[in-house]
Amino acid sequence: MALLNDEIVRNVTEMLAGLTNNVRLVVFTTKNGCEYCKEIVQLAQEVAATSPKLTAEVYDFDTARDKAAAYNITMAPAMVIVGARDYGLRYYGIPSGHEFSTLLYGIQRASEGKPDLDPQTLSFLNGLTQPVNIQVFVTPTCPYCPRAAILAYDMAVASDKVIADVVESMEFPELANRFNVMGVPLSVINANSRVEGAAPPYMIVDAIKAALA
Amino acid sequence: MFEFTLSPEPTKAQISGGVYDVVIIGAGAAGLTTAIYTARDGLKTLILERESAGGLAATTEMIENYPGFPDGINGAELLERFRRQAERFGAEIIEFDEVVKVNPIKVGEIEVHTEGGQVYTGKTVVVATGSRPKKLNVPGEKEFYGRGVSYCATCDGPFFKDKNVVIIGAGNSGLQEGLQVLEYAKHVTFLEFLPYTRAERILQERVKNHPKSTLLFNQQVTAIQGDKTVTGVVAVDRETKAEHVYPADGVFIYVGYSPYSAFVADLVETNKWGYIITDEKMRTKVPGLYAIGDVRADNPAQLSVSVGDGAKAALAIRDFILELQG
Ligand SMILES: Cc1cc2nc3c(=O)[nH]c(=O)nc-3n(C[C@H](O)[C@H](O)[C@H](O)COP(=O)(O)OP(=O)(O)OC[C@H]3O[C@@H](n4cnc5c(N)ncnc54)[C@H](O)[C@@H]3O)c2cc1C
Repeated sequence: MALLNDEIVRNVTEMLAGLTNNVRLVVFTTKNGCEYCKEIVQLAQEVAATSPKLTAEVYDFDTARDKAAAYNITMAPAMVIVGARDYGLRYYGIPSGHEFSTLLYGIQRASEGKPDLDPQTLSFLNGLTQPVNIQVFVTPTCPYCPRAAILAYDMAVASDKVIADVVESMEFPELANRFNVMGVPLSVINANSRVEGAAPPYMIVDAIKAALA
Repeated sequence: MFEFTLSPEPTKAQISGGVYDVVIIGAGAAGLTTAIYTARDGLKTLILERESAGGLAATTEMIENYPGFPDGINGAELLERFRRQAERFGAEIIEFDEVVKVNPIKVGEIEVHTEGGQVYTGKTVVVATGSRPKKLNVPGEKEFYGRGVSYCATCDGPFFKDKNVVIIGAGNSGLQEGLQVLEYAKHVTFLEFLPYTRAERILQERVKNHPKSTLLFNQQVTAIQGDKTVTGVVAVDRETKAEHVYPADGVFIYVGYSPYSAFVADLVETNKWGYIITDEKMRTKVPGLYAIGDVRADNPAQLSVSVGDGAKAALAIRDFILELQG
């Protein structure tokens, strides 16, 4: 049975009709306690089928070590959204519920290769010299979460130094526990500074500065 | 078992720009309803939303008192239908940009400024910004926000499977969200300041009859305790003056709402709580500027009321625009 109903498929098709560059959804599955891997693959394939510019590739995280390493993927299930190049857009877990929007936005941005950010934020990001990893913890039922996730994706598209990992907290309880995640969205920068809630760009910029200081 | 909600940010190209007949601030139930009417009427309609479309109603799991859904409906799903209906008639929606200023230029021309630096112009503007959860303002609330303290059980409830939860505030929202959390939490304690609750009887009965819940009245919460994360809630019994610490891994605060009206406070009349005062056609004292839904004074914060407001504003707007065209 299809995961996406006809109506959603129609809407997604319409939305993605304007894609410019090709986008690949690179999915890593695992046999190690992955509850929704089957569904994640199916979702990637159903979304890919909505546009000729979209393709889905599936790898086994446990055996395709080289591939995983190439994308710096250290846990699964994971989905890498690759446009004209790899901008650093990753989704860990299944992008369902409100997070489906995050996936589609990621696809649009990766295709366009242009972030939707204000000039100040852009100039800060362009000046980055050290790697920045933004982990955004989300749940599918959280309507505020796509805002935080999308901001991280925009930042990743804007700068080669930024990698944006959106993490579905319920599917990665250990990671969520490590950072004491008990509310979402939560953005964690380089595993040491954090911003709770759907924050405006300048607050994430401040947290990046704090993490790099 | 999976749901997929589509609320993507439209790319700039999909926004037609120019002067709109109607610019609506807030894509909750009220704003989306106005948009359904005005767009269907052929009026050029834009909605600006600071988060994703849906508003407060999209943060609740189950709505049981909205007519037409005898088995109840998930809030996000219902509001998603509102959005699709508005878009079907051509309403344009921009999400994730907050309106920071409304600037009336002359009758029939009102500017709307956003945080993202955009300026949109409408012949009419509708404030449908709703309200946000009130803070309790006790020690620990801010420190443990995101570390056990939350204002959205639908968002964060899943973190408290088999854990102890305290819900502060036993009004409709508190009880309703608490019942949801009861489905997976170990125990839920409800602490209410008043000696009674104004919540619907059916919700009270369900909470009282639930084997894993405790409902306490006359409780003044004085602090939220914790270490790295929340460990308990301190409350004083207002009758006996006894202080008690309720063990908690999670604390959800539902102590009422305050309106999102500061950005128009200098333009419109508000009551002492900041809710916008309008006439029965939803008009404020600025010609062409309307207010609807939860942000409006004396409204009982119900979906069906917001929907009614939305329709009334749309009809008033139609007349206003006809008059403008003379
Ligand atoms: C937990 C809970 C359960 C509920 N259950 C029920 C129920 O069972 N039945 C019922 O009838 N009602 C229920 N309600 C009440 C119902 O949700 C509200 O009455 C309804 O959502 C009000 O709609 P609105 O459009 O006026 O405001 P909102 O839904 O609050 O929407 C306002 C929108 O405006 C946006 N906004 C605010 N400021 C700005 C700005 N400056 N710029 C741009 N956008 C802005 C907000 O982000 C929001 O999306 C419940 C509420 C809660 C919190």
